[in-house]
Amino acid sequence: MNTEIFSRVRNGKALGAAAALSLVLAGCASAPVAPPGAAEARSKLTRFQSDPNLADRAPAALKDAEAAVRSAEMPVSKSEAELGAHRVYIADRKVEIAMARASTRYAEDQRAKLGDERDRARLDARTKEADAARNDATTARNDADAARASADAANRDAEDLQRQIDALQAEATDRGLVLTLGDVLFATGKSDVKVGATSNLNKLVVFLNKYQDRSVQIEGHTDNVGSEDSNQGLSQRRAESVKAYLVQQGIAGSRLTAVGMGENQPLAGNDSQSGRQQNRRVVAVIDNPAPAAASAK
Amino acid sequence: MRIPSRTYDGPRLVSAATLAGVILLAGACASAPPPPTRSLDAARTAVTNAEKAEAGRYASPELSEARDKLAAADVAAARENMVVAKQLGEQAQVEAELAAAKTEAAKAKAVNEQMRVGSEALSDEMERAGEQR
Repeated sequence: MNTEIFSRVRNGKALGAAAALSLVLAGCASAPVAPPGAAEARSKLTRFQSDPNLADRAPAALKDAEAAVRSAEMPVSKSEAELGAHRVYIADRKVEIAMARASTRYAEDQRAKLGDERDRARLDARTKEADAARNDATTARNDADAARASADAANRDAEDLQRQIDALQAEATDRGLVLTLGDVLFATGKSDVKVGATSNLNKLVVFLNKYQDRSVQIEGHTDNVGSEDSNQGLSQRRAESVKAYLVQQGIAGSRLTAVGMGENQPLAGNDSQSGRQQNRRVVAVIDNPAPAAASAK
Repeated sequence: MRIPSRTYDGPRLVSAATLAGVILLAGACASAPPPPTRSLDAARTAVTNAEKAEAGRYASPELSEARDKLAAADVAAARENMVVAKQLGEQAQVEAELAAAKTEAAKAKAVNEQMRVGSEALSDEMERAGEQR
């Protein structure tokens, strides 16, 4: 029993020694080498480290990767092949992680530059827009000013005209402004304008000087005292007389037409003194300016 | 004297050896390497993080491999092949980290691309606006 145990123990020792020896022998037989793939991991790492855009951008991950590659390069025996493959796997992935992190960082650094560029572009755009807007605003303001000015001018013109018309005591009709000069200009039966009776005519001169585009028809009318023929002649002469006066005051003759209307357009009955007085008259019809639209503007 | 004592010692030796054997066996059972919980947990966390970072969209092959490795690690652990389980767990972790890193890089590049396109569009716009004026 005892001896059996002893022999077993002894056998065990011998077995152990043999195993150890065979291990050592095996170790000698195939010397441990770096596992396959370690060299590839190293060259990947080297490629990464020599990329100027990436090399310095992930120092912590790079340190990890270097350690992993060194570990992968450790020689392993055949029996440790699995461990070697594991280390190579880890090394490869760590190098790739370092590359990915570095390229993230690179993109972020680029972004700052892109951001600056975009800001600059935006600023340019805004400046241009602002300039354009300012120009537009200036133009618009100028336009508005001009419009206002022309509106003001038109208003002023209209007001002026109204003032002038009021001053003339003229009546606006479809034919134009009708200014009745009355009979006070002439002595009965005479056709020359009485001195000192010209204040109404002078207002007409002022008006015509101001509104150069208007022409005037001067109509002479009489009452029914005397023959119709003589009244026709008288009315014509009186109209001519007024025209002559206006021409003398500097109004172009081409703007003035003198017409004798005779006694046929009475304003009132000829059977009374006052009626006849109303009928004896010279009427100036001032044309509305030719293009109505132009004057409206 | 020696012989009797020797014969006397015999059974003791036997019992001691048996005890030692039992202890050794028990020890062997107890120290059958424990499951690599830490590395499996780390791998699981890394996979989850990669998923959260949308690695499925930007680094799909890496994420799948990480998941496969993790599953294999779990299988190995269940079969009490703890060394392999630990290695697979570590590989799953590093693969998931790679998936996340690649995702970040792809996102960063996409943002830059967008900015570049935006800047170009802006420049074009400006040039057009400039021509119109």
